[in-house]
Amino acid sequence: MSDNTAIERNLNGSEAIAEAIYQEMDRDENILLLGEDVGKCGGVFGSSRNCLDKFGKDRVRDMPISEMTFTGMGVGLSMSGFRPIIEIMFADFLGVCLEQIYNAIGKIHYMSGGNVKMPVVIKTAAGNIGSAAQHSQCLWATLAHLPGLKIVAPASLHDHKGLMASSIRSDDPVVVFEHKELLLKRAKSFISNPFVPKNKYTVPIGKAIKLSSGSDITLVTLSYTVELALGAAKELEKEGIGIEVIDLRSIVPLDMETVLESVSKTQRLLVVDEDYLSFGLSGEIITRVLENLGPNSLKQIKRHAVPDVPIPAARSIEEVIMPSQQSIKNLLIEMSKGQ
Amino acid sequence: MKQIELFSAMAEMRYFDEACLEGVPTMEIHGELHTGIGQEAISAGFIGNINNADAVVSTHRNHFHALMKGVDPYMLMSEIFEKETGLCNGFGGHMHPFSPQQNFSATGIVGQSLPVALGYAYAFKIKKQNNVAVGITGDGGSNHGTFHETLNIAGAWKLPLLVLVENNGLGISVPISDILPTKTISERSLAYSAFGKQVDGNDPEIVYEAIKEAMGYIRSGKGPAIIEATCNRFRGHYEGDTDHYRSKSEKETILKNDPLLKYSEKLMKSGVCTSEEIENILLKAKNKMFQILENVRKEKMPPPDIALDNVFIEKN
Repeated sequence: MSDNTAIERNLNGSEAIAEAIYQEMDRDENILLLGEDVGKCGGVFGSSRNCLDKFGKDRVRDMPISEMTFTGMGVGLSMSGFRPIIEIMFADFLGVCLEQIYNAIGKIHYMSGGNVKMPVVIKTAAGNIGSAAQHSQCLWATLAHLPGLKIVAPASLHDHKGLMASSIRSDDPVVVFEHKELLLKRAKSFISNPFVPKNKYTVPIGKAIKLSSGSDITLVTLSYTVELALGAAKELEKEGIGIEVIDLRSIVPLDMETVLESVSKTQRLLVVDEDYLSFGLSGEIITRVLENLGPNSLKQIKRHAVPDVPIPAARSIEEVIMPSQQSIKNLLIEMSKGQ
Repeated sequence: MKQIELFSAMAEMRYFDEACLEGVPTMEIHGELHTGIGQEAISAGFIGNINNADAVVSTHRNHFHALMKGVDPYMLMSEIFEKETGLCNGFGGHMHPFSPQQNFSATGIVGQSLPVALGYAYAFKIKKQNNVAVGITGDGGSNHGTFHETLNIAGAWKLPLLVLVENNGLGISVPISDILPTKTISERSLAYSAFGKQVDGNDPEIVYEAIKEAMGYIRSGKGPAIIEATCNRFRGHYEGDTDHYRSKSEKETILKNDPLLKYSEKLMKSGVCTSEEIENILLKAKNKMFQILENVRKEKMPPPDIALDNVFIEKN
């Protein structure tokens, strides 16, 4: 199980996800995949490659640009005993079909008094790769606010496969936010776990993971910014500043136990989030820490997220609003100097 | 088609909703209630044309659709009256009944029933099951984008879908004639390579024949159908709606054309029933539904400590 094997395969995030979907569909014939360009094209990021050839058109279906309807089909298919995976090409398009996601998929188990299950996976590509305001958003907190949806966002290559497999196997609806940067990034350039076993495996939903140890500052984040945080933490290690980087992996459920354990020790908390700042993940994490440990439990609290503006197009203005390894490092240095 | 059966079904539907109305002033139903009173003939026309494995996805005005699909009236009324013995143990209420045993569900969001029905239709097709998914909408919902998206997909892939449009002429207060560019809604079928027909939804026999024809078309694998059944909404959009946007004379005309009354006259005129037999059917239906009401009222509300249950199946 050496890192050499991982580099030998040198998968990217989309290939890891495609492998999970392929193996799960092979395991259970009730799993279907619906979306735009998921068939012949194999997904615009390649995360359903090889599936059409193996499983055929009934199970891997290229849909017309009718997100509202094919998301709603997921409801009827679930009620018919299927386990649909619905691909919404970009997270930014969730607005088009949000109605079926939050009023039907997220609520039907509850509204039916527990009599109907919705084993639906909504997979979607989030995050910034320079595509400006309508193709770069994360939006995970928008969905996490709505009851009944599990919200997963993998960071490591290992988790791309393992969390997708768990999401497909879950009897609850799961929205999987894939980060475009990670879908395209290859094993050899991952700092977090790049090892993707060829065999089927799962990573449990709802368990955060501590990726580095240190006694100075707790850094809580998820998805692509985990890589940036680990990069910054490595640099600071040389300067004698110890950072505990926690990859949340999912925000519903939110594993506060892992966060609290670390924060109790460091008493300094930085939340890094590529989603918008206000009314979002960073506020939620900090509130829960204070609720659990008391209002005077922390010496420092900081949050670093997109400052409530749409993502701009030009690199020069994009750079100043997006968390980067440098911006994270700067904040950590500033915090380390504090009392 | 058994005419007496049609009439009895209509009578039961009418009295089911009449019984529900009892719960509004008493606040036993403390939210909205949308009755189908006046639209009974449409649902009655499905009886004998639909089987248990077929699917029905209904709307906010769903009681008659549930009854024609074979949902237990006691459990349905219990749900409407917010009781723990309800179809959904009191979690769903009148707009959100789910009965997986009958492949029946509804949504309170106008237009959103059709994609769900399409999911069933796709499932039937790939399972090679000779069943039909019925997606129900009103004239209001027929202007939702899902109407186009759903029928476009169903038409392209010849899926076994029946879109039933209950055209009562009003989307809350807006007359359909003010917002429709065509004479009928059903003529949109041409755009989707579908079967389409507008029928008088006040006559259960006409509806029955139309549904039979459409179901036959769909079950033979030819693709989707649209049946537009014209009808009248006797009451306000919901209980509490003052209905001030309709004139008195308009409402009087509607009530004079009560489908239950008209059909009873037809049955008597053609010698199928005597007036005594009609009275008996009505009384039997009334007693049945008001007996259910009486028993439902004695049921308990769900215990407060279950409010946080059923969000997720897998707890972490």
